[in-house]
Amino acid sequence: MKSSLDGMAPNWRQRLTLPRGMRDAINGVDFNRFRFWLQIFFFVLLVYGGFTGLNLGNNLPTFSCGYNQNGRPGVCYLLPLQHQLAMPTKALLGYASLTILSGLFIFFLWFIVLNKGWCGFVCPLGTVQDWITDLRVKMGARFTRYSQASFETLSWIKYVLLALMIVIPLGIGAGYFSHDLGAPYCMICPARLIIPTLALNFDQLVLDFSSPGKIVMTTLGAITTGLFLAGSFVKKRFWCFFCPMSAFHYLLSKPAFFRLIKDGDKCTRCGDCYTVCDLQIKEIADDVKNPQIMMDDCIVCLKCVAACPEQGALKATFAGRTVFESTEEGFIKRMEKGTRA
Amino acid sequence: MNGPFNSGKPVVPEPSPQSAGASPRARKPKEPLPFGKTKQAREAEKVLNHIVDDFDDNPKAMDYFYDLFRRVYCRGETIAPDGPLIGTTCIQAPEELIYAMGATPVRLCNGSYHYDQIGAEFMPSKSCSLVKATLGMLTSDDPVPRVGKLDLVVNPTTCDQKKKASAMMQDMGHAVFDLELPNVKESEASRVYWQRSVRSFAEEIRKVTGKKLTRKNLKAALARTQRAEKAFRVLDGFRKASPSIFLGKDAFLVVNAYFFDNLDNWCEAVERLNDELKIRYDNAVRAAQKKAPRIVFTGSPPIFPNLKLPLLIERAGGVVVSDETCSANRMLYDMTAVDEWLVNDMVDSLADKYLKPCTCPIFTKNDDRRRRLLELVKKFEADGIVYQAFAGCQVYEMEQRSVAKTLDENGIPMLYVETDYSPDDEGQLSTRIEAFLESIKTRKRMRQ
Amino acid sequence: MNYFAGLDIGSTAIKVVFVDENGRLAGEHVTPTGSLFYKNAKEAFETLLTKMALQREQVRYLIATGYGRKLFKDADDSISEITANGIGAHEAGKAFGGVGTIINIGGQDSKAIRIDSHGGVTNFVMNDKCAAGTGRFLDVAARNLEIGLEELGDYHFKAVAGPLDINSTCTVFAESEIIGLLANGHGKGEIISGIHNSIARRTVRLAKKVGLDERVYFDGGPALNKGLAAAIEDELGREVVVPEHPQTTTAFGAAILARSEFLAESAERRAEKVELQAQAALAEAAKSASCGPQCGSGACGAHAG
Repeated sequence: MKSSLDGMAPNWRQRLTLPRGMRDAINGVDFNRFRFWLQIFFFVLLVYGGFTGLNLGNNLPTFSCGYNQNGRPGVCYLLPLQHQLAMPTKALLGYASLTILSGLFIFFLWFIVLNKGWCGFVCPLGTVQDWITDLRVKMGARFTRYSQASFETLSWIKYVLLALMIVIPLGIGAGYFSHDLGAPYCMICPARLIIPTLALNFDQLVLDFSSPGKIVMTTLGAITTGLFLAGSFVKKRFWCFFCPMSAFHYLLSKPAFFRLIKDGDKCTRCGDCYTVCDLQIKEIADDVKNPQIMMDDCIVCLKCVAACPEQGALKATFAGRTVFESTEEGFIKRMEKGTRA
Repeated sequence: MNGPFNSGKPVVPEPSPQSAGASPRARKPKEPLPFGKTKQAREAEKVLNHIVDDFDDNPKAMDYFYDLFRRVYCRGETIAPDGPLIGTTCIQAPEELIYAMGATPVRLCNGSYHYDQIGAEFMPSKSCSLVKATLGMLTSDDPVPRVGKLDLVVNPTTCDQKKKASAMMQDMGHAVFDLELPNVKESEASRVYWQRSVRSFAEEIRKVTGKKLTRKNLKAALARTQRAEKAFRVLDGFRKASPSIFLGKDAFLVVNAYFFDNLDNWCEAVERLNDELKIRYDNAVRAAQKKAPRIVFTGSPPIFPNLKLPLLIERAGGVVVSDETCSANRMLYDMTAVDEWLVNDMVDSLADKYLKPCTCPIFTKNDDRRRRLLELVKKFEADGIVYQAFAGCQVYEMEQRSVAKTLDENGIPMLYVETDYSPDDEGQLSTRIEAFLESIKTRKRMRQ
Repeated sequence: MNYFAGLDIGSTAIKVVFVDENGRLAGEHVTPTGSLFYKNAKEAFETLLTKMALQREQVRYLIATGYGRKLFKDADDSISEITANGIGAHEAGKAFGGVGTIINIGGQDSKAIRIDSHGGVTNFVMNDKCAAGTGRFLDVAARNLEIGLEELGDYHFKAVAGPLDINSTCTVFAESEIIGLLANGHGKGEIISGIHNSIARRTVRLAKKVGLDERVYFDGGPALNKGLAAAIEDELGREVVVPEHPQTTTAFGAAILARSEFLAESAERRAEKVELQAQAALAEAAKSASCGPQCGSGACGAHAG
């Protein structure tokens, strides 16, 4: 079938900043494959980059797991944050507050560049989940979905984890809890077990029996990791629902440069975006009023943009400039590829 | 077929040899009319002549469609189906599933006044023409388009009249499957309910064809409808050209052909038409005057031969540049997005496509329909909207008010027309349409 | 003097109106449509020409409107009666301080039209395909009551008891209802005012759909019936404006439009002419300019001045 789409009347296109050919090439890209390779790139960078001596600092807004001591090219901010918050309350109110604020600021600078795109493109734990999904599809098994009601309930867990992640270290600093609880979120984070392992560092794959607190926390960590592996096999991006980093991101996302924008007028509410959404975000299809359509569970993977058949209804922008938008031609190209494969 | 439903059957008395031989003039037994002379064929012929002859310079590639309608509607030729033939009474029946399992869908919605009259014999007088005509056709032995023997009729539970038609079709001897469609489309519960309905529909087709739904055959079916949808979208794109290069009466005919034509032939014909329109576009060939009012058509669907209103609009110098009806845009515009290309995922995606973007007034809310109309007016640079409601189609009649209000708030003029398949209001309608087009022209002149 | 004509070929009557160069009503003529409407329309047009002692050529532009508009091939153009009515009522309504809503009752239809401050139609509704509440209905009623159509208005005001309820809106059923009422000994006045009220109810419902302006203009043949006008006023709860010649408003509108179309076309022609002249002048200038380099020192007259 030759592309008779070349014949479409040119007046439908918006006036564009980039040359038309280049735009079309971007918008018509085989998006899933592009993302697949980009994720591999970031995975290698964040899991093995440290071996080359790369150091991106201690405030990264993604799971560049600190426990992967040799492979990491920088540290996931949640680890230093929890450590800093666990300082004695007095120190915390004094000089340490500066440390925390400056750390937060650097974290924020990193974050606003990609917004939650850190989750959809960079996060190695996210990438691992996508690989598990690919494995499932290869095996021909079906994914599951949450019911709308459980989705709404589960969606809160990440905020609870975020709150605990802050409150427990503060409690440690104030002397209410034992230091054995350490960085509590890291202890239960599947990345602590999985990321170092992938860098051939098996130190974390043990239960620590040195104290009751450590027994509890490492056991919990083992359980969440087991859940993570099983969950990701049946549910796309299983862990991202619960991730406190995702909640943290969302709270800071207002001024981010990278954005997901929806033009509700152009939306037919066909639900194609919702159908492909790994995080089951219903608003992406149904909300036609709010142009800032990035919801708290969103990982800005842009699969929705690639699966939208309406010209310009969904787009990703960087500092106000469109970098990738939905087009009829792009949609048809991608779906034709699907039916032919 | 039995009982009160055989009214469409021509009564042919057995010729008796003696009387025929004795006096050839007197009391000659009535021969069945040759097909071309039947009422339904003449009705079709007349409309087709208007479509073809009232306008100069129709695209050459339209000949395929003119000829197709002449063959099927005027000469009674059959289009042979591949495998069992499954009739559908609404656009919500996922045809990809039918194709995938080796059957052929045919859309039964009928636009003939002749069958409307037959349906009126056993339906309440206030029911809508479309339902009357569809049931009228289904009772006939000699229906146009020649749908042949139906192996199954799929009846999505849409409006009340179609719901109740289910039992009537069963009484006529058809095997009917009620495809359960929810009344609300926004909730997740209805989405899940609908996905389940669609799955049981797939199961039902399997019983008819004996073939299993597989990843391979469903993908192939999706590829086929994808081709049709793509061709439709390209065609749709050409209607954005201003001045118009393609008229609405032809567009309606093209999509009406999709009801019964062989899918691949249809795609080829539309692709040829698109190639020709591309040339016309490049050469700035006009199909209408530069200042012809551009109209978006909405409401009850124009189905051949009832293209009364679109034809009146275009004969009065307007152009139907787009539509929001289930006989055209709503049927072919939306496309399926699939994430994982496994059977289950594809079936669910299909179900979503047939429910979520649907702007049928049978659903409780109509925000999507109003938004869609605004968007179409913007996209096609339209000047006004013509809203057709078949008398008796309560949902369209009721929605008129809210649609009119939204359009009024946005400064878009709308003409609301309540009508049916009968030709007797044509005079009055042409006055109303002309006045509407004139008021659009005055408005435009004022703005300048 | 030039004249412009509007010809309204309705279902019951043909109306011809001439306006002069200033757009003022110059003459009008009304005649029954009959069965040979083309012939009758032509005759009506010629009758008015004779009546006003004009030559055919003096009528520079003719616009036809009404049901027969498209079949009257002698016209320069045709326009729907709704647009024409809007323009006519706008023009005639100026005398009353401007109108925004029009109620028109014709021979077999009734309509309500909303116009803007320029006479452009912004919205309109028509009765559906049924003669209820139209001139035809009055016709039938008058015949049943054995009185003349023009007497209906007088009878309306003669009703002593209150108006009777006429329940049937269908022309055919109302007929038998009227006969029944007569047989029961009810007075003609009461019956007639009842009929007027029933028509008024239907018509006002239409008018409300398009929106009521401060002043409502009522035209069409039945507007001559004072009783009906009064019933509509009652139903509306406000005064209606009935022009001097309610029957010819639409034809008047068509004539006004004929005049402006003619002026627009001749302006266009003038503009074309000016452009042609300009082009010719330009060509001329180009020619004389092209002789410049060769002409050297003042041999050419162009340099003399």
